[in-house]
Amino acid sequence: MKKISIVLLVLIALPLVVPTPGQAIPAFARKYGFNCMMCHTAYPKLNDWGQRYRDNGYQLPGQEGKEKTTFDSPTPIALRTSTGLNGYSMKPNDDASYQTTSGFALNGLDLLAAGVMHKNISVLLIYTPRIDEPTAGYMSTEPSQPGALESASIIFSNIIQGALNLRVGRFEPAYHIFSSKRSYYLREGYEVYGFPTPRNNFVFDDNQIGVEATGHFKCGFKYGAGLVNGTGAQPDNNKFKDLYLVLSQTIGAGDGQSAGHRIGAFVYYGKQPMIAPDTLGNLPPPISPGGEYAGADNRAFFRYGGTASLNWRTFNLLGMYMRGTDDNGLNVFDKTKDYEYTGGFVELDYAGLINNRLVASALYNWVTPPDYDKVSGKVNAYTGLMRYYFGDWSAVNVALHGEYTYRKLEMGETTMTEHLYSLLMDFGF
Amino acid sequence: MSKIAVLVALAALLVPLYAWAGDDAAKPAPPLTEANALWLGPVKLGVLPAVPVPPGNPQTQRKILLGKQLYFDTRLSKDNTISCATCHSPKMGWSDAGPTSKGIAGQRGGRRSPPASNSAYNPLQFWDGRAASLEEQSKGPIQNPVEMGNTHAVMIRTVGDIPGYVEEFKEVFGTGPITIDQVADAIAAFERTIVTTDSPFDRFARADEASLTCLEKKGLEIFNGKGHCTCCHWGPNFSDGRFHNLGVPPIDPAKPDYGRSEITKNPADKGAFKTPTMRDVGLRAPYLHTGGEKTLEDVITFYNKGAGLKDKNLDRMMVPLGLSKGEIDALVAFLKRAMTSLNPEVASVDSIPASQMPQ
Repeated sequence: MKKISIVLLVLIALPLVVPTPGQAIPAFARKYGFNCMMCHTAYPKLNDWGQRYRDNGYQLPGQEGKEKTTFDSPTPIALRTSTGLNGYSMKPNDDASYQTTSGFALNGLDLLAAGVMHKNISVLLIYTPRIDEPTAGYMSTEPSQPGALESASIIFSNIIQGALNLRVGRFEPAYHIFSSKRSYYLREGYEVYGFPTPRNNFVFDDNQIGVEATGHFKCGFKYGAGLVNGTGAQPDNNKFKDLYLVLSQTIGAGDGQSAGHRIGAFVYYGKQPMIAPDTLGNLPPPISPGGEYAGADNRAFFRYGGTASLNWRTFNLLGMYMRGTDDNGLNVFDKTKDYEYTGGFVELDYAGLINNRLVASALYNWVTPPDYDKVSGKVNAYTGLMRYYFGDWSAVNVALHGEYTYRKLEMGETTMTEHLYSLLMDFGF
Repeated sequence: MSKIAVLVALAALLVPLYAWAGDDAAKPAPPLTEANALWLGPVKLGVLPAVPVPPGNPQTQRKILLGKQLYFDTRLSKDNTISCATCHSPKMGWSDAGPTSKGIAGQRGGRRSPPASNSAYNPLQFWDGRAASLEEQSKGPIQNPVEMGNTHAVMIRTVGDIPGYVEEFKEVFGTGPITIDQVADAIAAFERTIVTTDSPFDRFARADEASLTCLEKKGLEIFNGKGHCTCCHWGPNFSDGRFHNLGVPPIDPAKPDYGRSEITKNPADKGAFKTPTMRDVGLRAPYLHTGGEKTLEDVITFYNKGAGLKDKNLDRMMVPLGLSKGEIDALVAFLKRAMTSLNPEVASVDSIPASQMPQ
């Protein structure tokens, strides 16, 4: 029984610790002949210039219409992956001893295609194939990423000179003010982003399908507002589309990514339908040819919080605080209360050596679910990493990545501790 | 259903709005020249391709020699003191000592002398791009009251009174009176030979790894990466040939220089000036269109702060760079030596002695 419990705990925990490559798009570097550090403080983390480039629909700010399109430039496809040694050690409670596993692994693959199709009309596609398929001759020791079209969006930029830009499709929403996909961390993400509440399909970290308007102004103010399914890549089965609003203000020169300072706030309001099984436990039949259920008994949920990013020389201190509230109908633990939790992270990044070839970072994550939730667990995680980049003047696209996390999960009286370490080669081309 | 209708209506509203906004501002800049259209970029740094020559002004040895004589001849100016080479001297990286150029009667121009070298690759000439070709450009300074202070008619008469020139023009252009277009064609033909094809960088780009020192290689990496230099100084000529507002403080705050917008009348171009080539930049201090930064270290420090942050029309590509002292040193090392031309036709060309000028 004890072994089964341990296995179950490991299975619960593993999806949170699977390393995944983030987003950096070498297709752009190839198109322009730029070194990666043009857009990235060190890839995949964007610097101010890269952020403005992204905000401008993957066009050089002020140079719209004066660059090669996807039809004129080299095939706009890039790949990124990481491989190396992953280790995992876990103690299910204070009285137990550590269970340890480690192995060389392939950590997923990103296929990226992006570029400008026409002046102020751009595209971004990111496909992450599932790689741990027996037919592919590789069975991962850890559950790998599912195959997914992570992003498939078209961007209409400068509808009103930077003040109105539209993204349509599946995209990384603007409320990811600090992108987990462009974080240095390959194994330990932002825990609060991935925290699943008991009966809600919404996951903060997911890319969403819908439409988003963004704007950026010379005074440093930015906004983002979206209308999305709120179910990641899944269809939405209620009439209500989720809404969000993000505001941020940069203080000083720069964009708050690598210079200047930035504060921001966000709010997300969504509704989750309850699809109740009948007395025999059967779900109602789907109503659409695609197998979608009729949405009914919608229950509201909120996510809101604040962010800050402070820069000094090549140090960047960033943090986020978030509160989440799910309607009591979504609370499987106590139907009389809304499910409320808080969480956040604080990260300190440093970039050094010539062309930022060395990166060091420390990250503290926490998530605090309500006391009565003995399953999700209160998370406290401490992570450190170092990355060294190899390459030359044309590209610095190979990183030696070392990362270690100490993670504590308190579930009622039980405290599970974990140690995660990785020594990886992270590369893209 | 009603929500869908609202969304469709919203989309229908946005489409014409987008189509409208996609048009250029009220007073667009002149269309891209053919050369610029070929240079849609950024493109990778590399060695220069063959120099583009307009079909109407083919290169000939005699024409190039004639152009060279005219380029160095002070008699083109009103008081016989200023030649093209006075402000675009081969000894000063085809510019001058600055900070801005000195014309006839000791008058100071309002801008730094842009380099004549590799100007054949510029899609538009002058800091503000007001000339679309070297031929058009070369006519300008002759009649600029602050530069050579002459008129085309007087200059043509002067040249036409020199028998040696009459003979040479006849050989190059055939019989008929000397014209300003012929003078311009000859000078432009010479300027198309001022091309730097052999710098340490060029050798490195041709796979000679030893041509750059370790520090210079680091400088090149910063130039193309963290330093953000190549977002404007891209391609074989290390210039996008376009116009950017760096927020450079004006020489005289009472008389601000609006650069490109004075030509296009487009407010978006206010304060924008053409990106100069980085080739031979180490020979061309001081820097920027005002000559306001004395050394390469100074100008990199200016960029490192994010350029002229007080300018409300500052180019969106200007961001603080976060370069360390060591990174600035590496960048300077690269720019100073690795960008300096070694080919003798550019590096060693000297003024033509008066005795060899047409008499």
